[in-house]
Amino acid sequence: MYLVANISVEICASKSCKLCTQYCPEANTIQYSETMGTDKGFKYGTAYIAVDRCKGCALCVWVCDTLAKNNAIKMTMIDQLPMAAVTDNIRYEEKTTVAVLSNPMIVIGN
Amino acid sequence: MSLDYVKFSGGFEKFMPKEYRDMVEHGPFGKKISVSQMGSFKEILEEHPMCAGCAMTLFIRLAIIAFPNPEDTITVGTAGCGRLAISQAAIPFVYGNYGDQNGVASGLSRGLRLRFGDKPKDVVVMAGDGGTADIGFQQVLHSWFRKERFTTIMLDNEVYGNTGGQESGMTNRGAVLKMAPLGKKFEKMDMLQMAKVAGCAYVATVVPNNPRRVESVIKKAVLIAREVGSTYIQAYTSCNIEYAIPTDKVMEDAKTVENDRYQFTEYVSDEAKQYLTERYGYKDYLPKAAAPAAAIPNKA
Repeated sequence: MYLVANISVEICASKSCKLCTQYCPEANTIQYSETMGTDKGFKYGTAYIAVDRCKGCALCVWVCDTLAKNNAIKMTMIDQLPMAAVTDNIRYEEKTTVAVLSNPMIVIGN
Repeated sequence: MSLDYVKFSGGFEKFMPKEYRDMVEHGPFGKKISVSQMGSFKEILEEHPMCAGCAMTLFIRLAIIAFPNPEDTITVGTAGCGRLAISQAAIPFVYGNYGDQNGVASGLSRGLRLRFGDKPKDVVVMAGDGGTADIGFQQVLHSWFRKERFTTIMLDNEVYGNTGGQESGMTNRGAVLKMAPLGKKFEKMDMLQMAKVAGCAYVATVVPNNPRRVESVIKKAVLIAREVGSTYIQAYTSCNIEYAIPTDKVMEDAKTVENDRYQFTEYVSDEAKQYLTERYGYKDYLPKAAAPAAAIPNKA
């Protein structure tokens, strides 16, 4: 098993600084969705991880903790994530993305 | 080269992989995008085999987003880590022999001008410190002396990271590396000064811990290279493997190095300032005395 970043929707959707999306070395890995935050009643959208692209460097954790001071990102073992976004289930819209969450282990094992 | 080359061929749409379809339908081609929109559009850069937490990859990702016209851009690279990511992008990439990237880019840039005339086609060289300052040094300097109109970006990780940690001309004096166990005996090369002496119209240093600044610097360099002359960007992109930086501390290191020896500097020639102001509406380079004088009638 290996670690991937895991963003807390509760914290992220109440701050929405989007800093982590600009600092990840991997392309299209930290995505941003308006609806994944606002649909749950939060003020803003939230960032989320395409876990099949995450290499587990934890650079975003430093950015979230130190630059943004939000402490919303934790590294988590991929099999401990009940639901997560994978690239195949991410859809792009006009100014946002939408992800259908699924069990990452089942999708990766296909 | 045009927007046509990123479209589907008739009837093939449904057979294309998801990443390709996303790129055509939601990529940045033909649109104005900025780093603040990152995470909400399909990026030109794709998955790549670079190390986890690599600052060079972050810089390349930001640089590709910052290209003013990605559909009309060709990147040129050479051996080194950077090419592993640059080649995984949906824009043409030319891979030169080691060190000849600026020679290749010179011919390419001239050829594109002959073929397409005034329509801007941007050539951007992205090579490491070894490719730019050591092995490709002769061709780099000569392309600058000839005032070839393309952008040269040095991905300065201060080591030969791809081959096990040999010192390069850009390594700092005293640095001890796996293949330089006694420490480097000479100073880091001053490529910035050489770029100015050789007549580059735009010279800047940048560290990727400020994405907006990276974006602004790349945009200016590419725009100036369209008409005025050679432009040079030197970016500190640490090698977390050879310098043993924990991946979650890569940006902390970038910040420390930026404060220590890699402060943001920018040199813009007078001709380039005038060009940016008149052609692209940059207001930073307007004469300072003229700005308040112009503002008074508006206020009144």
